[in-house]
Amino acid sequence: MTAAVSPQGALDLATRMGAVLMLVAIVLIFGALTPGFLAPDSLANIIKQSSFIGIAAVGMVFVLLTAGIDLSVGSVMYLGPLVAGLLMRDAGVGVALGLLACVATGAVLGAINAVFIVGLRVIPFIVTLATLFLYRGFGTWLVESRQLDFPDSLRGFGLASVLGVPVPIVIFAIIAAAAHVILRHTVFGRHVYAFGNDPLAAQKAGLPVRRIQAGVYVISGTLAALSGFVLISQIGRLDAGFGEGREFDVIAAAVLGGASLFGGIGGAGSAVLGAITIQAVKAGLVFSGVNLYLQPLLQGAVILVAVFLDGLREARLRSLRRRVIRPRAG
Amino acid sequence: MTPLLRFEGLGKDWFGVPAVRDLSLDIPEGQVIGVIGENGAGKSTLMNMIGGIVPPTHGRMLWRGQPYAPQGAADAKAAGIAFIHQELNLFTNLSVAENLFIDGFPRRPGLLRGLIDRRAMRDRAARILARLALDIPPDRTLDSLSPGERQLVEIARALHRDAALIIFDEPTTSLTHRETERLFQAIEGLRAEGRTVIYISHILQDVRRLADRVAVLRDGRLVGEGTIAEFDIPRMIRTMIGRDLAAVYPPRTSVPREVPVLEVQGLSAPGVIENVSFTVREGEILGLFGLMGSGRSETARILMGLDPAERGEARLRGQPLTGGPRDRVRQGLAFVTENRREEGLMMDASIRDNLTLPAIERFRGGLGLDRDRIADVAQDLRETVRLKAQDLGRQPVRALSGGNQQKVVIGKWLPTEPRLFILDEPTRGVDVGARSEIYGIADRLAAEGAGLLVISSELDELMGLCDRIVVMSRGEVVATFDRRDFEERRIIAAAFREATSAGEAA
Amino acid sequence: MTAMLSPAPTAPAPRRPARRPLARALLSDWFVLWLSLAYFVVLLPFLPTLGTPANLVNLLSNAWPLLVVALGQTFVMTIGGIDLSQGAVIGLTSTVAAALIATAGAPEVLSKAPIWGLLIGETGGVLAGRIWFGILAMLIAGALVGLVNGALVAWLEMPPFMVTLVSLITVSAFAIWLTQSENIRNLPDGFVALGKGEIVSVYFGPKDTSQIPRRQVHDLVTYAAIIAVALAVALHWLLERTAFGRQVTAVGANRKASEIAGVPVRRVIVLVFVLSALCATVGSILYSARLEAGRPTLGEGTFLLDVIGATVIGGTSLFGGKGKVIWTVFGVMFFVLLSNTLNLMNLSTFHIDMVKGGVILAAALLDVARTRLLRSMA
Repeated sequence: MTAAVSPQGALDLATRMGAVLMLVAIVLIFGALTPGFLAPDSLANIIKQSSFIGIAAVGMVFVLLTAGIDLSVGSVMYLGPLVAGLLMRDAGVGVALGLLACVATGAVLGAINAVFIVGLRVIPFIVTLATLFLYRGFGTWLVESRQLDFPDSLRGFGLASVLGVPVPIVIFAIIAAAAHVILRHTVFGRHVYAFGNDPLAAQKAGLPVRRIQAGVYVISGTLAALSGFVLISQIGRLDAGFGEGREFDVIAAAVLGGASLFGGIGGAGSAVLGAITIQAVKAGLVFSGVNLYLQPLLQGAVILVAVFLDGLREARLRSLRRRVIRPRAG
Repeated sequence: MTPLLRFEGLGKDWFGVPAVRDLSLDIPEGQVIGVIGENGAGKSTLMNMIGGIVPPTHGRMLWRGQPYAPQGAADAKAAGIAFIHQELNLFTNLSVAENLFIDGFPRRPGLLRGLIDRRAMRDRAARILARLALDIPPDRTLDSLSPGERQLVEIARALHRDAALIIFDEPTTSLTHRETERLFQAIEGLRAEGRTVIYISHILQDVRRLADRVAVLRDGRLVGEGTIAEFDIPRMIRTMIGRDLAAVYPPRTSVPREVPVLEVQGLSAPGVIENVSFTVREGEILGLFGLMGSGRSETARILMGLDPAERGEARLRGQPLTGGPRDRVRQGLAFVTENRREEGLMMDASIRDNLTLPAIERFRGGLGLDRDRIADVAQDLRETVRLKAQDLGRQPVRALSGGNQQKVVIGKWLPTEPRLFILDEPTRGVDVGARSEIYGIADRLAAEGAGLLVISSELDELMGLCDRIVVMSRGEVVATFDRRDFEERRIIAAAFREATSAGEAA
Repeated sequence: MTAMLSPAPTAPAPRRPARRPLARALLSDWFVLWLSLAYFVVLLPFLPTLGTPANLVNLLSNAWPLLVVALGQTFVMTIGGIDLSQGAVIGLTSTVAAALIATAGAPEVLSKAPIWGLLIGETGGVLAGRIWFGILAMLIAGALVGLVNGALVAWLEMPPFMVTLVSLITVSAFAIWLTQSENIRNLPDGFVALGKGEIVSVYFGPKDTSQIPRRQVHDLVTYAAIIAVALAVALHWLLERTAFGRQVTAVGANRKASEIAGVPVRRVIVLVFVLSALCATVGSILYSARLEAGRPTLGEGTFLLDVIGATVIGGTSLFGGKGKVIWTVFGVMFFVLLSNTLNLMNLSTFHIDMVKGGVILAAALLDVARTRLLRSMA
């Protein structure tokens, strides 16, 4: 019997530990550069702010596990809260119902993506690239590209805290925990992993591949809308450009945390870890007074490293998967 | 007593070419049926019909006396039929237990029934693994298992489903001796429980040892059937081959010269091939024979630069072969892969585009490509390989029959003027008429002084075509036969032997 | 178990020949041209301005730079990839060229930029007025981005959309950082002229006055037109009539088979991404000249949609192996016509974005349908 850790397991572990190490290194470097960065308040703030990208990144992990991609999350972040805001402003709906409307909108938008991807077999990135513009265009049309002010009750919700923990962190924690349970302990979750590992084998094994694939896009849409709501509930106002370009942050967070673009690898923890890392980089850049316009460049570089490492891992895996026909010597 | 499964006049045509014809056979319950036949004899088509992958075009099947017409894999599964294929349908990122229960996880009781009952899954997995005497912890992820262990996990998956009929398709090719033994015990255990097993294998000893009955297919027909007592190995081979070879194989028109074209010396790649050495001479057709998984195709891929070698070298006309496929094509190699759809052809591109791809850089004219010359060369190639096609410039390769597609794959190499052709399973999925033409092309290429390395799992093909045959087993060269020493039983015996040393390697 | 008791299935019936005419129209090289003309003719009665000479000339002048960029995208899609970074390349090269060749710098705008005093000062860029050096620098900068994209795709076998997505973010961030998001004006006259070029102008109207009012003269043949047409002809030749072009198509049709056939697959991939970036650079020259400024955000936002939409609707397959320059020419015409009519209908930009998003989806669906049709007809 072959002993100990497999090559893939070791690599997987290395990438996962790599993500942790990267986070630690980033925190320490910025901590050394700017003393204020390591203050408890500042660290707590990083975690609170990471909840926005983090919640959407949890959804993105589902999509990435199937080797898909969802570029429309930035627009869903905008359109979901927008529908909720219109209902709250014009129909006098409360925060709870508004939240429900927002999440339901996200689910519908995700389902539209799923129809094109699963039903009509168009490549995910083209579908979501098109809906990225469609959803935002629809949203700006609804409000004629004016900003939307939310009632104060919403900010009451967004700035509240439960047992001293701010609401955004509570929601992020609940979502991450739920995603972890779904991915690890439900049939659907395990099927997502199986599908991402080998879609053809999944089909042959009789798994409901269409439902699996559609499900992940609905989840991604739902969580993107929720993440938008969480941030809006802190700001109280929705601009026409809200969420624009956030899909990059979300994908980057998931990949930074160890989810693979090639499917089958990653978990809810990847989203948490990646979102906090991204936020730490952003906060650190602000803290150390790096030029405002240089910040996206450095963030892009961080993403590039993550994508590059993912590519290396995949190349290694491919070479390991080569057919072996005789027992190795020794 | 009604048989578990009965075929009545079953047949399947592929674009008018019959793959299985008029097959009637009973599979009695509780027995192990060995199904043997050469590649292309119709075994896989028959299995695909049972599995619901391919609908029959003639006849019908009866399952426990009821008409059985599966529309897909799910129907076959629902009926109680399980398949164990050579290529595994496993998920390397999941645990052994999860792989076993991927299509039916045990759930927790009561309110938590949305969740997988991991403890129950683990316990049941452990029990199933114990039945196969496998001491693998159910929680191990699959990528940490050896190929043999993975195969056994696949078998375990079929077992837990309580299938009434389990079909094994070449299950032992990647197993070690010990693992094979364990598998056989498991199959005997299945029979003792009253399950029915169809066992497809090229390894006739295994069939002798396991099967109660034997069914022999040839050219899509059932040519022999009976109890194992009636079929000793020589009779199995006779029944499998029994064809008039002379009609298919045109006589060789040239003799090999003494000049070596390809010299392979101690080529090794860990886990794949070990210390492989042989020589192909000018004008020689050298056969490379072996069972599935013996390292034949892997040797070809290494020669072509598609997979890396760790030790040893190969020389083409004295020059060491180095680099990737592009360099080796330039040095004079041509490779007709065993997998023409995935690796040989651009299916939606025109015949002409396919025919001129490898030598495209030779067609440079004054301003861009010399399109007249391309058209002329394509036309010449059509005649040289006797391609049956209407319009070379418009017709996509997809529209051609298998035999004509294969002629395109061979023909496209001719303008590069190769010194050595590697033909991997050149007649797979090709009808008898086109086969004969392909053999004729091979003979002409040799007559013009090229060396040919022909890889095949059909021994009679190699015996009809080749000057010498090198036999591989478990990644090693185990024997070499000259044409005058060709004798089926000796060659097959060499291929079946568990290799311990390089043997009579050339 | 119901399935088991159903009657044995019969062989699938041959395809209905009735579908053939429609199928042939869909698969024709000219399909999008007919579509554009039909669209034009149908809308003409409702939008009278559509057919005016001014509008037609405007249509063409919008088409040229887009065509240049889309030609590069056509090559990338033909190998089965996609290049999302073209817009960023446009922004970067526009900024770099302007910084180098501007004849004057405005300190109140640019003094905070990191390139101030380094590449550009109050007396202009270090290569002030030397247009050809500026263009050379643009091409080098563009080619470098393409080289990195191609190398990552070819050697690491990373998905092209991810690689180019990352370079889209980093390259455009870099361009914006260079000038702190400011535009660089004061381009040399010779450069600005590239965006005009009144080589052949036409006048529509009665010939009764000796003095033709300025506004009624329409530039028909501009430098942009000449550059775009020349590039289209050259790239058509490259794709259809050279060994390299056939290898590009082969890599997209079947990468594995191409590799075995001795095609230098990795080199082809790298070159195609370089070509795509170079096309974007040429597009950048035309756009910058027209704008009379270097702008780091020049190719941002929905420009990407126009390029991808025009290429895909033309008929180039997202799955690779099928692409033609002429298809893209028609695709660009359709897309420009579409934008133009939407503008004439007084729709807002977000409406237009929505329609474009929808058109991309429709184009992708059309591609799927075409592929299936082709397979079923074979």
